Amino acid sequence: MEKRKRGELAVVAAFVLLGFLLALQLKSVRLHTAVDATSASRLETLQNLYNDLVNERDGLASQLATAQSELEEYRKAAADGEGSEALKQEVEYLSLVAGLTDVEGPGVMVILRDSTAENTTGDEADYLIHDSDLLSVVNELRDAGAQALSLNGERILATSEIRCAGSVVLINGQRVTAPFILYAIGDPTTLYNALTMRGGVVDVLSQWKIQVDVTMSEKLLIEGYKGTVATDYLSPATQADEGGEAG
Amino acid sequence: MKLEIIGLAVGLALGFACPWTVPANLSLYMAAGLLAALDSALGGARARLKGQFKLGIFLSGAIGNAAIAVFLTWLGEKMGIPLYLAAVVVFGTRLFQNFAEIRRELLTAGPKRDRI
Repeated sequence: MEKRKRGELAVVAAFVLLGFLLALQLKSVRLHTAVDATSASRLETLQNLYNDLVNERDGLASQLATAQSELEEYRKAAADGEGSEALKQEVEYLSLVAGLTDVEGPGVMVILRDSTAENTTGDEADYLIHDSDLLSVVNELRDAGAQALSLNGERILATSEIRCAGSVVLINGQRVTAPFILYAIGDPTTLYNALTMRGGVVDVLSQWKIQVDVTMSEKLLIEGYKGTVATDYLSPATQADEGGEAG
Repeated sequence: MKLEIIGLAVGLALGFACPWTVPANLSLYMAAGLLAALDSALGGARARLKGQFKLGIFLSGAIGNAAIAVFLTWLGEKMGIPLYLAAVVVFGTRLFQNFAEIRRELLTAGPKRDRI
């Protein structure tokens, strides 16, 4: 009799435990599905935001195109009338320096491709081209006297950024991906030698089996920068002799 | 059999009333443990109905099965094979068997009821 009571108790205890676990699990599963649902709706919101932004960007791009064609007309009008030849030359020179016009000239073309090496260290990132690699190539080209540079068709300005954003590289706010094609206008031989010298950038990158092709070219066309350069924090200094104070 | 059902109801009420929830990454272990508990509870009920109940066998089965189910789940996660399916299949099959025996016992046990 006593034994049977104990058995009864044990089985009932098992049932209580079963009910308890079942309730907990049901509650948790319901909670998790609710969380999944919220993240799905969040995804939807983000998708909508993204679409809105894309539309806005496209609108702004067409606005910019209109503004630029207007500007072109103004320039023409200015050049035609009033005999401001000097002013026109100044504008042309400045936009050439700033990188706002298409330019052509001799130079080198550099193509960088992600590494073909077998991944042995386990870290995929070691075999990809990073912003630092691109920056060192660009820096080397500038040091060798490159006068105009572009990366995958994006003009590299004095204000241009080159930085990793996930698996892509951002330049002038645009995303570009490998293979990276750099155009540099300058003395082709100097540029070529600067990159391919022993211990130079190409040498270092080749150790990671990152493919870098440097080709000299007689004539390269580099397009001007099509966007706008923000200057809202800038105003010409009023007193030239105090210019160095902040530095 | 009434006591068991009352126990189940009490357990459910307790579970829903209690503020804990299972974290998502432990959900699988919980499910494996839950299956083991289900198997033990039904197995115990069947043994009691048949009058073959032994406390030692019941307790070792309940704890051991739950431990093995959780261990298999863990091992499967480490190995990349969903080993907890073994627990699902075994306990699922036994669940049906136990239920069948309980059913038979209950339906044919009219004259035997005094034994229970």
